[in-house]
Amino acid sequence: MKAGPSNSDAIKERFETLKRDALQRFGEIKGAEVPRITIGMATCGIAAGAVETKAAFEKAIAQHNIDARVEATGCIGHCYAEPLVVIENPGFPPICYNNVTPGKARALVSSFLVDGDPLFEYVLGALEENDMIPSVRDFPRFSMEERIVTALSGRIDPEKIENYIAEGGYEALAKALALTPQEIVQEVQISGLRGRGGAGFATGRKWEFGLKAQGESKTVICNADEGDPGAYMDRTILESNPHQLLEGMAICAYAVGAEKGIVYVRAEYPLAVKMIRIAIEQAEAKGVLGSGILGTDFSFSVSVFQGSGAFVCGEETALIQSIEGKRGMPQHRPPFPALQGLWGLPTIINNVKTLSTIPAIIKKGGEWHKQMGSPKSPGSAIFSVVGKVVHPGLVEIPTGTTLRTLVFDICGGTPHRKAFKAVQIGGPSGGCLPEAFLDTPVDFDSLIEAGAMMGSGGMVVMDENSCMVDVARYFLDFTQKESCGKCTFCRIGTRQLLNILERITKGEGREGDIELLTTLCEEIKEGSLCGLGKTAPNPVLTSLKYFRDEYEAHIKEKRCPAGMCRALTAFYIDLDRCARGCDACVGSCPVEAIFTTRDRKKAIDQTKCVKCGECVAACPPQYTAVKRVSPPHLAPRIERPQEPQE
Amino acid sequence: MVKLTIDGKEVQADEGKSLLEVCTDNGIFIPSLCFLKEMTNPPASCRLCFVEVEGLPKPVPSCRQSPAEGMVVRTDTELVRRLQRSALQLLLSAHHVDCRNCHANKRCALQNIAKFLGVGLKPKRLEPLAMEFPQEREHPNFIYDPYKCVLCGRCIFVCRKRTGYGVLTFARRGIDTVVSWFGADGPDSPPCDRCGECVNACPVGALKSKETVQAPMEAAGA
Amino acid sequence: MDAARPNENDDNVTPLKVLAATLAPFDVKRENLIPILQTIQEKEGYLSPEAMKMVAKHLGVTASEVYGVASFYNQFRFHPPGKHQIKVCLGTACHVVGGEIILENFERKLGIKHGETTPDREFSVDRVACVGCCALAPVAIVDETTHGHMAPSKVEGILLGFQIEKERKEREKEQRESGSQQ
Ligand SMILES: Cc1cc2nc3c(=O)[nH]c(=O)nc-3n(C[C@H](O)[C@H](O)[C@H](O)COP(=O)(O)O)c2cc1C
Ligand code: SF4
Ligand code: SF4
Ligand code: FES
Repeated sequence: MKAGPSNSDAIKERFETLKRDALQRFGEIKGAEVPRITIGMATCGIAAGAVETKAAFEKAIAQHNIDARVEATGCIGHCYAEPLVVIENPGFPPICYNNVTPGKARALVSSFLVDGDPLFEYVLGALEENDMIPSVRDFPRFSMEERIVTALSGRIDPEKIENYIAEGGYEALAKALALTPQEIVQEVQISGLRGRGGAGFATGRKWEFGLKAQGESKTVICNADEGDPGAYMDRTILESNPHQLLEGMAICAYAVGAEKGIVYVRAEYPLAVKMIRIAIEQAEAKGVLGSGILGTDFSFSVSVFQGSGAFVCGEETALIQSIEGKRGMPQHRPPFPALQGLWGLPTIINNVKTLSTIPAIIKKGGEWHKQMGSPKSPGSAIFSVVGKVVHPGLVEIPTGTTLRTLVFDICGGTPHRKAFKAVQIGGPSGGCLPEAFLDTPVDFDSLIEAGAMMGSGGMVVMDENSCMVDVARYFLDFTQKESCGKCTFCRIGTRQLLNILERITKGEGREGDIELLTTLCEEIKEGSLCGLGKTAPNPVLTSLKYFRDEYEAHIKEKRCPAGMCRALTAFYIDLDRCARGCDACVGSCPVEAIFTTRDRKKAIDQTKCVKCGECVAACPPQYTAVKRVSPPHLAPRIERPQEPQE
Repeated sequence: MVKLTIDGKEVQADEGKSLLEVCTDNGIFIPSLCFLKEMTNPPASCRLCFVEVEGLPKPVPSCRQSPAEGMVVRTDTELVRRLQRSALQLLLSAHHVDCRNCHANKRCALQNIAKFLGVGLKPKRLEPLAMEFPQEREHPNFIYDPYKCVLCGRCIFVCRKRTGYGVLTFARRGIDTVVSWFGADGPDSPPCDRCGECVNACPVGALKSKETVQAPMEAAGA
Repeated sequence: MDAARPNENDDNVTPLKVLAATLAPFDVKRENLIPILQTIQEKEGYLSPEAMKMVAKHLGVTASEVYGVASFYNQFRFHPPGKHQIKVCLGTACHVVGGEIILENFERKLGIKHGETTPDREFSVDRVACVGCCALAPVAIVDETTHGHMAPSKVEGILLGFQIEKERKEREKEQRESGSQQ
């Protein structure tokens, strides 16, 4: 049968059957009156020890000989709390536990599942309002978020399609197939959705180009290359809810008339690859992907292409080169991929988050999306907030939320009562914004105006101990290494920038360096071929703009105000504070730079010290005798006593 | 054929040509390294051929711009020259400038462009980059000097065009990129035609054919 | 010729037959080049010159084309990796809490630089960009295990663990051998 309005009833019918079936399967799992333990098993959870925790639960359950299910889910984005476990014990609300070690797991089984004591000291919160246990909704980290894309992340089993369908999945696809492609494109245009891959291009317009483009076949590519070295939300979405993405891709394919889809996944994401592959297989088996989707004449097959480690391949033309089996070098645009992309044929490339938002837009309507967040970039924004914050992790908020709300209210601000200094947004293409910009709303235009960029959505919070010159150097080091080497400005220009920044952080900065950096940055931005080179200077330009005094301190006084640049700092032990006979720091030093003075106190051999700061951590809090100073000559010189001759 | 204005002069042009060619045909010099007329898809990588086109917000590489009816082009604006000088200085900062001992002396595109733009061959603004490549590389038929290569890709293009498969390719990435002929000596590899086109295509002194250098190499005890 | 360039005199090249079997399922299509290289590297740990030449032959492209593509991407190695692979994350979050110091400690303890393998081929050290465990920064991945909240002092512990394990195995082997002789 033909897809489109003429067969809307039949398509709906087809989908309802699917859903009934899924609900039944799902109900069997859910309805059973046995305790259910769900563990977050995305990459971050596993890194924090979720595998061991899961094993501990399983073993304890077997030992106590009780009937309970242990299941895996994706990531709900609360990385600080991993391993995160939800226990649904009949008679109790679902309870969320944080940092569940194997020990806690054993205790939970014996106390909660066997004796009915939910162990309040381990509880993070209940997932439902109740009068027994405080709800997670009482924390801003939960209540201030507004989740569209990550709504089901960490709540469903990504390996079970029934789970997704039972929660309303693939309904949008069924709805879309009963519309005309033009109607879908129009709905997306109304929604005001802008590409979440960084540049913020209007998705509806891109699809319109795609729909109108002529070519013997068209392709939809999902860009999951996620190369920003401080962002991981695309990975989390793939690992936690791959079907939502496939649904979005299928809707896009129907709207623009494509038959083939490719998910381009970054090399370092093996679990994401596994999840998306399982999802494709299951979706094909259910008839929501593959040939004759939901009984219509619309066919769409999806394959996975694994990247091989090149940040620049996130750039759409380079990505296409890479799929074609070539060196991933960006190409001059126009022609744009929507008209001439993979194999010279029309190709729509969208980010994971963009495509994952589509099902919600089709289901709830473009108007609904348009109403959310700030008018010019409506919808939600997903950030991975990391660095010096109390509650790092993934956060989905309406656009237009201020940075202050995001960093302080939702993520708990900087830990250890250290002063907030800056927030780096948009990774290597973005910039560092100081405190004065905390009231900037997060949306494409406001951030660009401030000199940063939404970019990939990576957000790194920095406190007083972070050196802005060093951060700029770090990003330049990254872009310089990742430059494809094709065009002059980026290949050589970023290397020149890096050299100057390296000199400055080593205390070899010179008069005129700031001006040279500024002009070079402007020229690289203007002259580079692709977005990598055009945005690479942003971290330098913003830090120069907002933290010029730090550059000047490095250049003129050879001093690093944050005490971060190792060439410009020294550690020494305050002999007045050092406890005689204590040698807590000695073993901590990886290079044996700490020696005993004549009066049995400790001192640091400056010629050996590698400035790792281990001794600072090792010195007992009642002494805190290890001090860090910049410039290094402020550290008192203490000679190592001659070894007694034997 | 279309009519357009370049630097105030009205010219006729074939729409199929690039603006760069149109300028050159009309006696206007546009610095460039990576462009060859035969290319259908010029790489636009050297970033020297910028021009300003009225109505476009930023300078564009003329090798990728088609002429159009009524187009108004300027090739010598302040911004264009600034970008060209900067690109050239960058190239020179990564180039082993040793003209006196270079076989390409006097016919080198870098010398030519530097003269045109009024840029010294050893720009003061930028420090020469300490590049690290393995020593000069030898192919059975030519010698390649990565310290002189500007990565324009011309040699690779002509080789591929002639042989259809390409003995030469770019290898590695970023600042470490080099021209490579890995496996060219292998028994299964399609052979090098010994046509010398790559050497002729090189705008600088990065490639030289073996015959011309045999003697000095031996003299150096190599 | 250069560090990233394949080592021509490599003695542990896989039998070409095995390689041929690996290649067989792949259609002769240029777009299969990268997936083929990934498969070979997964099996062998690296791309030997022979392997690249065979891939070229299989796909009907020149060997330089294959090397040109392979050497563009970070993922491909041209030397056999160590038995234990250490990857230190230098993503942004790890950088701001001293990821480089962790890397340096591994380098110092093993006496190699990142991208290299110890002469006994026991360890190789690499730097990687964000592995997506920023909340655990600084992070190092040793073989399959992710170590969060790394500290220079933990470096020694990890390496020592391998050393002890190796010695234990050797002892067992000796015992077995002397046992079987009796
Ligand atoms: C250097 C560079 C890296 C990029 N990396 C990514 C990436 O990792 N993921 C992504 O979706 N887009 C990335 N982009 C943007 C893509 O080129 C493209 O604009 C985007 O995938 C389009 O999708 P959208 O319209 O949904 O944003 C990158 C661009 C550049 C210049
Ligand atoms: S800007 Fe950088 S990454 Fe982009 S084409 Fe130029 S060299 Fe390659
Ligand atoms: S060798 Fe010459 S022609 Fe080839 S890329 Fe280098 S500079 Fe260009
Ligand atoms: S000739 Fe146009 S960029 Fe090189």
